[in-house]
Amino acid sequence: MSVSRRGFLQGLRVGNASQASQWLAARGHEEFVAELMQQGRQPGRGVNRPNLPPGVEAIRISSNENPLGPGKAAIDAILGKFPEANRYPFNSTPLDADLEILIAKLNNGKRENVVLGVGSQEILKNAARVFLSPTKHLVIPSPTYGDPAGFAEHMLKVPLKTAPVDAKTLRTDLSALVPLVKGAGLVYLCNPNNPTATINSAKEISDFAAEVRKASPTTAILIDEAYCDYVTDSSFQTAIPLALATPNVIVARTFSKAYGMAGVRIGYAIGHVESIRKMARWRMPYNVNTFGVAAAVASLKDPAHIKEESARNKGVRDFTVKALADLGYPSTDSQTNFIFTDIGKTMTAAAFRDACAKEGVLVGRDFPPLEKQWARISLGTMEEMQKATEVFRKVLRPSTTTAGKAQ
Amino acid sequence: MTLSRRHFVQTVGIGAGAALTSQIWGRGRENAIWSAIEPDLQAVERGVICIASNENPVGPGQRVLDSLRTLLEGGKKPGRYSGQMGDLTDAIAGHFKVKTENVLLSEGSTEVLRAATQVFTAKTKPLVGTIPTYEECAGYAELIGNKVVGVKLNSEFKIDLDMMLNAAKGAGLVFYCNPNNPTATYVGARATRDFLTKLIAASPDTTVLVDEAYFDYVTDPDHETHVPFAIEHPQVIVARTFSKAYGMAGLRQGYAIAHPETIKKLRMWTASGGTGSLNLFGMSAATVAIQQDASFTTNERNRNKQVRDFVTKWFKDRGMKPTDGQANFMFVDIGTPAKEFREACRAKGVLVARDFPPFEKTHARITLGTMAEMQKAVQVFGEVLGKKTSTAAA
Repeated sequence: MSVSRRGFLQGLRVGNASQASQWLAARGHEEFVAELMQQGRQPGRGVNRPNLPPGVEAIRISSNENPLGPGKAAIDAILGKFPEANRYPFNSTPLDADLEILIAKLNNGKRENVVLGVGSQEILKNAARVFLSPTKHLVIPSPTYGDPAGFAEHMLKVPLKTAPVDAKTLRTDLSALVPLVKGAGLVYLCNPNNPTATINSAKEISDFAAEVRKASPTTAILIDEAYCDYVTDSSFQTAIPLALATPNVIVARTFSKAYGMAGVRIGYAIGHVESIRKMARWRMPYNVNTFGVAAAVASLKDPAHIKEESARNKGVRDFTVKALADLGYPSTDSQTNFIFTDIGKTMTAAAFRDACAKEGVLVGRDFPPLEKQWARISLGTMEEMQKATEVFRKVLRPSTTTAGKAQ
Repeated sequence: MTLSRRHFVQTVGIGAGAALTSQIWGRGRENAIWSAIEPDLQAVERGVICIASNENPVGPGQRVLDSLRTLLEGGKKPGRYSGQMGDLTDAIAGHFKVKTENVLLSEGSTEVLRAATQVFTAKTKPLVGTIPTYEECAGYAELIGNKVVGVKLNSEFKIDLDMMLNAAKGAGLVFYCNPNNPTATYVGARATRDFLTKLIAASPDTTVLVDEAYFDYVTDPDHETHVPFAIEHPQVIVARTFSKAYGMAGLRQGYAIAHPETIKKLRMWTASGGTGSLNLFGMSAATVAIQQDASFTTNERNRNKQVRDFVTKWFKDRGMKPTDGQANFMFVDIGTPAKEFREACRAKGVLVARDFPPFEKTHARITLGTMAEMQKAVQVFGEVLGKKTSTAAA
C-alpha cells in the first residue's frame, strides 16, 4: 500500500513522512469505534467482515478518514514535543489553553467560547450530558451520525424523536424536525451529514435555529461540522458565527477528518460563552494530549494544507461519483470525503460490502434505515479509488448490463 | 475557582451512620486549569522549576521516546489504531499476569475514575473518600448529582481505616487513593487487604476503587499492589496511570484492572469502550513502557527516593514536618498559608501546588523534581520561609 501511495504523492510527502502521517490518520477509526460500541451494547455481536485473500492489502474506504494524514508541520511539531512528554497539557508549551485561544482567534471569538474535547466524541457526549435527560428528548434526522443518539439513548435513557431525511435528495429535512423540538433538550445536526454526505445551507441553518428558538426557547442545537473542510458548495457556511452569537447553539469540530489526525483525538466545541461554560463543567481534566495539542496548533497555522486536501478530495470525489453514475448508480450531492450511493436496484449495502471485501475493498457499514438501498463509500486516494471503482464495476455489473451501459 | 471548591466545607466527624452530608471535598485536579473559564495561564517559562503537578521530571526514558520517534520518522511501519488498543491491553495483562478481560484502557486514569463513580454511586449510594484526596471522583459525583461523604485522615495524615470502614458501609463507591494525593502517605498492604476484606464482608454491594497512581514510588517494605486481590473480588478495582513513574503525563494513558464482570460494567462508560478516547502516542508509548524490565521503575523509584530523602531532611532540619512521603511529592507543615508560600516561591521561579483544603492554612504540597531542581528549590523555600539555607544538606 505505501509503495503505491508514494507514487500518488509525487514528491509532496515522501515515503517515510507519509507513513507517519498515515499512522496519525488512524484510518478505520470511525468504523472501529462503531464496532466497539456495538459489541459493548450487544456482547458478542461484532461487525462481520469477510477475510481477505492472503497477501492482499485492503483498500479501506469504510471510515471517512483523510487517507494521507496530517502534513509535515504537524509531525515536526510532535517531534519537537518529546522533551515534554512528562508534562501535563497545562504545563507544556504550547498549553492546551493556547490551542483554545488560537481556535478562538481564528473564529473571531474569545477563549471562553471554546472548549477542547478528546476528539469531538467527548464534545458530543458532554452536550448530551448537559442538555438531555429522560424527560428532555433528543431530536435528530434519520439517518445521521449515530454516536450522540446511541450514547443518549442507551446510557442516559433519553427518548429520541427522528424525522427522515428528504426522500429524494437525502438532505436533512429541517422543516420536518421543527415540529419535534418542543420540550426537546437538544437537536443534533451533522452538517455536512454523515452518512448522506449532503449539506444544508447557511441560511437554512440560521432560519432553523430561529424557528427552534421560537418553538422551544430552551432547546439547544448542536451542529457537528466534522466534515466542513471538504465542502465545496458555496451555499454552505460554518455555523460558528451563529453559535458565537446565540446561546444554546454549539458547533462541534474535529481534527480527525480533513486535518488527518483521528489517532490524535482532538476536537472542540465553539459557541456562546453560556453554552461553553456548561460544556466545560463536564470536560475531563487535562483531556487532550500534549503532542496532539502541538500538532493541532501547527496544523491550524498551515491552512494551505487543508485547502490542498480539500482540492485533492474533490478531484477524487468527482471521479468516483462519475464512475458510479456511469454504471447507473447515482450518488447524493456529496460535500464530504465520502459518498452515499444508491445501489438498491442491484443489491443491499451488506451484499455490496461483502462482494467488495472479497476483492480487497472495504466499504462502509450499514446505515439504517437506508441499508437496503444506499452504500457509504469513503474516498481514499485517487489511485485507491481507481482500483476500487474497478471492483465496483465488477460487483455491480448486472445492473450495467440491464442499463445497457457496459463498457 | 471551581464551584465545588467554593462549596468545600467539610463535614463529617464521622461515626457510623453520622448524618453524612453531600459536601464535596473539593475538585482539585492537578493545578486546576479547568478550561475556558479559568483565565490565568501558567505556561512554564524556561528556567522556572515546575514542582506543582506531581509529574516525573525525567520523562518516559529513551527507549519509549525512541520507539515513538521511529514511528514518526517512518523507520517502522506503524500498526493500525485498532491493533494498538489490543497490543497495549495484551502488554498490561502480560505485565500483571492477568487476562485481557481484566484490563480496561482509559484516557489517563480519569475515565476509569469517572466510570466507576458513574456506575457504582447513586442518589442513595454515596461516594466515600478521604479529606483531602484526589478529587476527580468527587467532582464527577457532584456533576451527576450523587452524594459525597468525606472521611478525615488520622493524625499521621493516613487513611483512617476504622472511620473509613464505618463510613463505607452502604456506600456505592469508596475511593481509596494509596499513596494518597495530596498527603503522600501510604497505608501498608496488609492493613489495606484487611480493610478490603472487612468491607466486602460488611457491605458486599460496595465497590472500592484503589487508585495506585503513585504505587511505583512506594518504598515502605509492606507494600504490594492490590491487582491480585481485585481480579478475585468483583468489588475491587485498581486504577493505574502512565502519568507518574512512567513519565507520560502529557500522553494521557491509564487503565483499570478488575474482575471481568466489573470491567464490563465500567467499559460502557469509558470512551475506550465505544467512542475512542485513546490517542496513538499514549497507546504506543505505554505498550513499550510497560514491557521494559523492572529496572525502569526501580531506577525511577530510587532516583525519587534520593530526592525525597534530601528534601525531607531539609525540612526536618528546619523544624518543619513533612508527612511520611511515599510518593513523588511531599506534604509539609510549613506553618504558613500555602497561598502565600506559593506566590512567594513563584516570584522566585519555583511553582508549587495549589491549596488543599482543609490544610491550606498550614500545609503545602511540593512535587519532587530532579535533585538539581530541588537543590535550587530548597534555597527558595529557605528564603521564602525565612529559614537559613544550610549548604550542608546536599
